[in-house]
Amino acid sequence: MRMYSAFFKKELTEITRTYKLFVLLAVFVLLGIMNPVMAKVMPDILKSVMPKGISITLATPTAFDSWAQFFKNASQTGLIIVVIIFSGIMSNEFSKGTLINMLTKGLSRPVVILSKFTAALSVWSASYILCFSVTYYYTDYFWHKANIENLYLSAAGLWVFGAFLIASLILGGVLFTNHFGGLLFTFGLVAVSMMIGIAPELKKINPASLATLNTGLLSRQVDSAVFYPAIAVTGGLTVIFIILSVFLFNKKQI
Amino acid sequence: MSILSIENLSKSFGAAKVIDGISFEVAEKSIFGFIGKNGAGKTTTMKMILGLLKSDGGCIEVCGEPVNYGQTKTNRFIGYLPDVPEFYNYMTPKEYLMLCGEITGLSASVCKKRCIDLIELVGLEKANRKIGGFSRGMKQRLGIAQALINEPKLLICDEPTSALDPIGRKELLDILERVKVNTTVLFSTHILSDVERICDRIALLNNGKLALCGTITELREQHKQDGLFIEFESLVDLNAFLSKLGAFSWVNKTESNGTSLTIKVSDIKRAEKDVLNILSDHQLLPLKFEIMEPSIETLFMEAVQ
Repeated sequence: MRMYSAFFKKELTEITRTYKLFVLLAVFVLLGIMNPVMAKVMPDILKSVMPKGISITLATPTAFDSWAQFFKNASQTGLIIVVIIFSGIMSNEFSKGTLINMLTKGLSRPVVILSKFTAALSVWSASYILCFSVTYYYTDYFWHKANIENLYLSAAGLWVFGAFLIASLILGGVLFTNHFGGLLFTFGLVAVSMMIGIAPELKKINPASLATLNTGLLSRQVDSAVFYPAIAVTGGLTVIFIILSVFLFNKKQI
Repeated sequence: MSILSIENLSKSFGAAKVIDGISFEVAEKSIFGFIGKNGAGKTTTMKMILGLLKSDGGCIEVCGEPVNYGQTKTNRFIGYLPDVPEFYNYMTPKEYLMLCGEITGLSASVCKKRCIDLIELVGLEKANRKIGGFSRGMKQRLGIAQALINEPKLLICDEPTSALDPIGRKELLDILERVKVNTTVLFSTHILSDVERICDRIALLNNGKLALCGTITELREQHKQDGLFIEFESLVDLNAFLSKLGAFSWVNKTESNGTSLTIKVSDIKRAEKDVLNILSDHQLLPLKFEIMEPSIETLFMEAVQ
């Protein structure tokens, strides 16, 4: 446990001092503010750029539009930045050889994987919750007490998907030891998952559902019964990826 | 008691057999020099001792416990300094040593004290800035400090002096000599003067096998080739001396180089006596007169060829 807390602290120090924490928090706060603001002012912007004489009818923006923006931005811009920021989480240690000193001090290998995963997960959770809270606050400010169906379920789904991506970055990093290996492994997984998403009967067990069907869930086009199994499967895969990483890392020559 | 014992160890990378059945032991509180050409397998052997590489055969014991590949408990006895130690650049030396101490399970108060002591030992008191801006020499010194944090019984250093300037090298060797009091040191190098300076015993690795192993005196004794070295003031003296030398049966071979002369002899005692007689009889005053001992370098060259 002492080893875990020491290495977890080291991970957090690294994330902070290499400005990763700053970048993530800044991006997610910015996204959080933009979601409701853009939803609110978009019709006005569109109107102002329309040439005179052409009129378009736009529905009055609602809280739903704000949350639609949230899920679009967090699942695209947000997650891409998370993946890029954490892409070197394993490979940097391998390529620089910084783990050798730690492992020869008796640092247990499973602790390396677990503390890296939990540190990245904490930072992802903090950024995501911050983004959610900011959007929540401004949405409430613009559209008082709007009731959005399945909001928390949808948000939880996207969070689990983020955890899944972090686990796959770690597994990819252990498998291929280099920077691009981990990145390509993760993008490959997402691509495959997106393709599976085309088949409607697989939606229930597809991790990508958690990042693509969020708005549908809010508008009730997608049933919440689809989301629960997808969350369970993605959570399960995340755990399996971490166990697999520990197993492979134990066998790795360094 | 031996701290480290290696028996019949072997390792191949693909078709290349890097280590081919080597065995040796390292006694407690000694400095053991592990020498060999670049690529001889020194680092490979060390990484196997640390459980970072998997051996193909044979066994390694540290303090009487077998080393297992991967997660090995024997590392608690060992401090390791890699050839190019890498640190977390965003930390200060003190933070890094604290992290190392916490990992080895030292209590916070002991850890703090050790950090201060070690930083002083390696002379980094004034370098209280991020490791990213350190020179090679400073990193090497911090490397020694981190390796000693858990007061290891065995300190393994992989070519600790290779990249350092003469002053840095001297300082590092001094540190190694100082830690010898409590710790056994196994260090690899291809700088032979370092070996001569501080090692008690050496092992020479060549083509995956141990070509030589023993104390430096033992090895010198084994490979002794008797010879005398005389340097004269002028060529005239040298030639005068040479003309007298032909009559003696103990002369095997003579080699002259400028005003100096090397004589390989079959009976060193007689040769010494006769040579001194010639010199005094003919009023020849040499600048230098010495009995030749094989240097580590000649031992190395002989073994490698």
